[in-house]
Amino acid sequence: MKIIACCKIVPNEEEITILPDRTLNTAEASLKISQYDLNALESGKVLAAESGGSMAALSIGSSSFLENSKIRKDVLSRGADELNLVIDDAHSFSDSLQTAKAIAAALKAIGSYDVVLCGAGSSDLYLQETGIQVGTLLNLPVVNNVTGIKAASEHTLEVERTLEEEVEVLEVPLPAVLSVSSEINVPSVPSMREIMKAGKKPVNLLSIDEELAPSASIAEQLAPQQQERRQETIEGDNEEAVNALAAFLRKEGF
Amino acid sequence: MAIQSIFIVSDNYAVLPEFCAGAKKLADSVTAVVFGDEAAAKEHISCGADKIIFCPVSEEGAPEDYAAPIAALVKEQQKAMVMVNNSIRGRCLAGKLSVYLDTAVLGSVNDLSVENDALFCHRVVYGGTAQRKESFTAPYGVITISAGIFEAPAETSGNAEVLPIAGEPSQPIRRISRNEKKEGAVNLVAAKRIIDVGRGLAAEEDLEMCRNLAKVLDAEVGCSRPVAENNKWMPKACYMGITGVQVKPELIVVLGVSGQVQHIGGINKSKVIVAINKDKAAPIFKNADFGLVGDMYKIVPSLIEKLS
Repeated sequence: MKIIACCKIVPNEEEITILPDRTLNTAEASLKISQYDLNALESGKVLAAESGGSMAALSIGSSSFLENSKIRKDVLSRGADELNLVIDDAHSFSDSLQTAKAIAAALKAIGSYDVVLCGAGSSDLYLQETGIQVGTLLNLPVVNNVTGIKAASEHTLEVERTLEEEVEVLEVPLPAVLSVSSEINVPSVPSMREIMKAGKKPVNLLSIDEELAPSASIAEQLAPQQQERRQETIEGDNEEAVNALAAFLRKEGF
Repeated sequence: MAIQSIFIVSDNYAVLPEFCAGAKKLADSVTAVVFGDEAAAKEHISCGADKIIFCPVSEEGAPEDYAAPIAALVKEQQKAMVMVNNSIRGRCLAGKLSVYLDTAVLGSVNDLSVENDALFCHRVVYGGTAQRKESFTAPYGVITISAGIFEAPAETSGNAEVLPIAGEPSQPIRRISRNEKKEGAVNLVAAKRIIDVGRGLAAEEDLEMCRNLAKVLDAEVGCSRPVAENNKWMPKACYMGITGVQVKPELIVVLGVSGQVQHIGGINKSKVIVAINKDKAAPIFKNADFGLVGDMYKIVPSLIEKLS
């Protein structure tokens, strides 16, 4: 089975700083693979091994993100045999349909594949829609919140999807696009050997020729105003401190 | 009004009164698209919509199969907003609809505002670090929205016209089986008191201690993302945060949670926040009304004793 795992490179949100005017400074944040895409890479690695197939990774974004050799190696140390990149500085990809159109075009450029895997949502925008949009654009079956994948035959997968109140098992004809839930696995930490091998794996630059007009525009992006809290803090875990907490709870009526 | 037409698409009848009331304030015409037979649709005739279009999903089928006919229905209007219930099926429908309508999805919208006749959607980005305000530039827009964003009306009235959807579902995926989830459903959204457990908990067995505290306080137990996702000590439905459940209890007692923005975004609507953490510098103390800097393994048993 030929698997393609999509992964987004994002600034580490824990290192984003907030400026006095409540705007964000992402310039100093290090890059990381979007957290939930690690689940997609892990699922692809497992499925490729089980089906005797291969996995390629695909990422789309600006040169400042994708020309970083450390991040390329990070992606390639997680089970992908090769990395396909669409480097695009002309678009901001702040709208998920725009991103999905670029991914669909890249998949057409790659040509053949059986399974396309996406994470639940990206660490930065977390729209949870891109995978569904990619599959729909390509007129392929799509499933979101996938919590289990098994190869049923050469041309079908048995997919477990966990909804709010039920779990369904689906027979999905291939090729198909699946968005995996973060519950599907615990991404493994790359071994020394995998990290060593990553640097030698091929990186392919794809060019796509696709109309990628955005359909939404950002009017404002600001850090939320800190909610006022009383911040009565006591240091200590002795009887006195616990009494103070119990007194506080009583005073508040609990 | 800012918009001529809003289509509410929901796999859950329960949200209709709230969504219709919210949509009515923004648009001249509100159509609800629901999944079930005509009789079920007619039970909701007074939900507040002008029209109810029902998609008769068969036993083997799923709401998602109706994305193309729903898009065709929306396209009868030259401009429209589609408001989809933010469930897993809802998000699948929203993604498909956005492709058929050639527009973006703005997901998990937490506020809608109108300025100069334009509609702005507000949503959280970068794991809670910022709130983004966006508007659609295309003729159509698709948003996903959860219950609790609009004011639910005390009582509903209305007499919607009930019609079947035109067009056939497409079903590329066969369902082999469906089973109800086994895990007991916890309704943290409705909970008045919550114990919030974080990575400071050393072992799964120690959840018992937290449950005992919950018992004396008559509270539910929830957790932070790593406790559910990495340790798998609690079901995923129990984790609070921007990407998890967003709660608004009267009291939340936060145990061993550092207080990253992701998590704070899920609990900051709580009326009173009490934090217990060993690390004096943990950001949770800035977001708490009362904080104890100390060992939860000493504090919690002693607190249980005092409250019992």
